[in-house]
Amino acid sequence: MRVYGLIDGNSFYCSCQRAFEPRLKRRPVVVLSNNDGCAIARTREAKALGVKMGDAWHIARKRPESQPVVWYSSNYALYADMSRRMYQVLAERLPAVEPYSIDEMFLDLSDLPGDLHERCRQIRQDVAEHAKIPTCIGWGPTKTIAKLANGLAKDHAELDGLCDLTDPAVRQDWYRHTSIDEVWGIGRQTKQKLLGAGIETIADFVTLDAKTVRQMLTVVGARVQAELRGQSCLPLSDIAATRKSIASTRTFGRLLLKWEEIREAVAHYANRAAEKLREDGLEAAHLSVLMQTNPHNGDPWYAKHAAVTIEPTSDARDLIRHATALGRAIWLPGYRYFKAGVILSDLRPTGSQGLMFAFRDPVQSATVMAALDAVNARFGSGTLRPGSTGLKRTWSPRQSLLSARYTTRLEEIVTARSW
Amino acid sequence: MNYQGDRTTGFASPAGDNIEGTIDLMSAALDLRQPSRYPVRVEGDALLGRSIRHGDILVVDSAVAPRAGVVVVASVGDELRVCELTQRAGEWWLRSSSPQASPVQVDDDTDVAIWAVATGLVRTDV
Repeated sequence: MRVYGLIDGNSFYCSCQRAFEPRLKRRPVVVLSNNDGCAIARTREAKALGVKMGDAWHIARKRPESQPVVWYSSNYALYADMSRRMYQVLAERLPAVEPYSIDEMFLDLSDLPGDLHERCRQIRQDVAEHAKIPTCIGWGPTKTIAKLANGLAKDHAELDGLCDLTDPAVRQDWYRHTSIDEVWGIGRQTKQKLLGAGIETIADFVTLDAKTVRQMLTVVGARVQAELRGQSCLPLSDIAATRKSIASTRTFGRLLLKWEEIREAVAHYANRAAEKLREDGLEAAHLSVLMQTNPHNGDPWYAKHAAVTIEPTSDARDLIRHATALGRAIWLPGYRYFKAGVILSDLRPTGSQGLMFAFRDPVQSATVMAALDAVNARFGSGTLRPGSTGLKRTWSPRQSLLSARYTTRLEEIVTARSW
Repeated sequence: MNYQGDRTTGFASPAGDNIEGTIDLMSAALDLRQPSRYPVRVEGDALLGRSIRHGDILVVDSAVAPRAGVVVVASVGDELRVCELTQRAGEWWLRSSSPQASPVQVDDDTDVAIWAVATGLVRTDV
């Protein structure tokens, strides 16, 4: 029998911080979004103090209730490595694992010998022991049911982090007591539509006539319903196939007026995107740049986007040249810019198309880029970079509460006193 | 470039079936790609008796079963310590290198826990 599982890390970013700092064990921890903007991960203790998802840090930190909270800037280098560890533990124990997001992985639990509940308990314990991340696992005959089961395991402490929805009778019981908006793929609009039709619980939804669902919510809704009925429509995928586009966009650390500063940031984003491109062995034939003011601070709204088709390349110098030229064309004086970005698309494997009139010698370009990547792999990202990406980087995002990168930088590893 | 003592052009190498490759020092005890391996920097010279110096990098493994006599990294309250592990009457204790300090029992309730077991040591400051 096909069985899908979903495992996810509890308050994943906070758990990554906790893994290396015993003092955080019982303390409320909150991780902030890029630029230290708002709360994006909270431990149970922080939730209990009333810190909400999306709470702005500069307001939340002043509330007397949040005094015990330990705040962190997001440390994606650390979180990516901990996600890698979690994936590896799972991949060594199961026939197939699909990383769905940085902290959620779908599992193939079909036809495994022995008691499945016991196996999942063991997997959960192994992940906690090896990767130091507490998790919950839910499973059932489809991905949508597995995702639902995982949510139940998280919300109901008495389940001990495990929820089995393979039995239709058990499922029906939960369906009667669970709101339709707990279902993966049911967004706010769909929920409103369903509520309008008097459908509140999952049980209400699965008993609807399939044709009615299709008319009301198109094939997407029909698929959700079929999956909830136990008919698997979504197979397990491998690690994400070749990317369709690579985006590098960020909010600036402060509002920027001058083109010179924005040019540096745009060059930096282009350089980062070029790095990701080369990591995957790809070239881009299409490049776009975007730039905008802050939609929330009362400034006049300006948002512009421009794109250009280019000779396929992964050379940082070419991509920076194109990106800054486009950026200059859409930059208008007088606005306070809040965010910019570079997006590469029309991606193809390196060297898949011979160029008749190449701007650059492709061999020389590959050699230079390989040297650049090798230096940065050895001495850390950004050690060697094009001068156009700036020295002072006055635009770089605020990360005032960044923890060490315990597992990816030798100079930042954990220290322990010998006793 | 890739000659390993096997692919000779004139006389067939008698070692052809016995190529083992160079010793990979990394993979045995130090491979940090293992999901349970973490690097830890040692602070202080209290464990000189076990040849562990200030500034050394311990490679520790959180999935290795603890044994009496091994060096572990343990969390004691808010801090991480490097020390020896001993066993007494079925219970785990952290033993200090100093005869004055009394051992501390490993016990979740008092916030003393084994974080990982040392599996290797790298000294860059020789």
